[in-house]
Amino acid sequence: MILIDIWEGTDPKPDVDRFCEMWGIDSTILLDETAEYAAALGIRGVPTNVLVDADGTIVDIGLVRLDELDAAIDRLVSS
Amino acid sequence: MTELDIPVGAACRIDAVAPGLTIAEVPVGLDPEGVAVDLGRGRAYVACSRADNVAVVDLDTSSTVARIQVGTEPIDLAFDPATDRLFTANAHSDSVSAVDAESLEVVATIDVGLYPSGLTADHAARRIYAGNSLGSSMSVIDLDTYETIATVEAEVGAGAIAFDRTRDLVVCVNFIAASATFIDTKTWTVIGRVEVGSGACAVGIVPELGHAFIVNSLAGTVSRVSLDDYTVLEELTVGRAPVGLTVGPRHDRIYVSNRGSGTLSVVGTADGMQWAQLPVGGGPGGIAVDGNRVYVANAGSGTLSIVDDLLAGPPPRPAVEPPHPLIGHKLPEFSLVDFRTGQRRSSHEWAERRYIINFFASW
Repeated sequence: MILIDIWEGTDPKPDVDRFCEMWGIDSTILLDETAEYAAALGIRGVPTNVLVDADGTIVDIGLVRLDELDAAIDRLVSS
Repeated sequence: MTELDIPVGAACRIDAVAPGLTIAEVPVGLDPEGVAVDLGRGRAYVACSRADNVAVVDLDTSSTVARIQVGTEPIDLAFDPATDRLFTANAHSDSVSAVDAESLEVVATIDVGLYPSGLTADHAARRIYAGNSLGSSMSVIDLDTYETIATVEAEVGAGAIAFDRTRDLVVCVNFIAASATFIDTKTWTVIGRVEVGSGACAVGIVPELGHAFIVNSLAGTVSRVSLDDYTVLEELTVGRAPVGLTVGPRHDRIYVSNRGSGTLSVVGTADGMQWAQLPVGGGPGGIAVDGNRVYVANAGSGTLSIVDDLLAGPPPRPAVEPPHPLIGHKLPEFSLVDFRTGQRRSSHEWAERRYIINFFASW
């Protein structure tokens, strides 16, 4: 799991630190401060999950609800 | 097939009626959340929560023309035309500011409970309600004297509020408790509760149906709740991560902002069907409506979308969000800075692995 932080507008450090502490996040976090990469992927909202297969193919985009995400991960793992 | 390859002719062309029309997208500032409209002056007010101010948008020129410094982290707004006052719920100041709409100056600061995040004015009853998220309560304030009439115990995460004058009822939704509290406005006592979906954060009421519509942001649904027996009647489908809700003026539809989809759902109040999903800005939240014109504050893109809802009534089929066009394509390469190490990292590091990218914002 990679987290990409977007749309902070100001120095993201204090807010992202607080966010990680609140949700117990220790995964890799990358900063897309201009949201340029998000725009390249057509991301229009947060949260948005992008599932990527081993050959670099996008298999799903969206998937906010836990049940949807679980099902998509199962499909990804079994593919 | 390119656009030029599409054959055009009476036998093959279908002219679909667009459900909505984008009028403007106005830059307003950092993390806009609540929005209110002042039709007399042709203005919209937008609470820019991380800038600690309210942007004043001229609706004729679609531009931000002034900023009002209020308390810390203004989240929600209400405008009272009778007194020409704008009210802001300042979450980190535990207060509500009253602003003179002519001078754009704060004329009063009203102490409420901890972390007020929802604000609703009942103009006829001359009251304003504040939902205090960390105080687990709802403040009832006189709209003319600014005196606190009552403080009613709700539940943790109390925020959005709606009222039904025909039933002498106020509904306060509780984000963290995932519930709604029903309050009698004659006695200011709690007369019921209902458990809804996780992340309950917005509410609207259609009195003639006897229903409240409650947005569950984490569950990704809208609950239709009976105002007579306080039960959930059904869950409605909208876009991803819904966070805002406003009832349309004719009460035949609700508008729901989908923070995860970047869209505005138009949902029929009678049929519960999603009539349309209209594109707005990035990470939409607060909504105000005037006739068929809808104003949406977009926390991600820092803008106010102004959109006309062109639907006269329900379409033949429910709107379905189409699959994302990049599904099945290769992920574009990235090279981004690691938040913890400051090192640049590229997509090559994750080559030949299956993984998930989660786009998020801390607000």
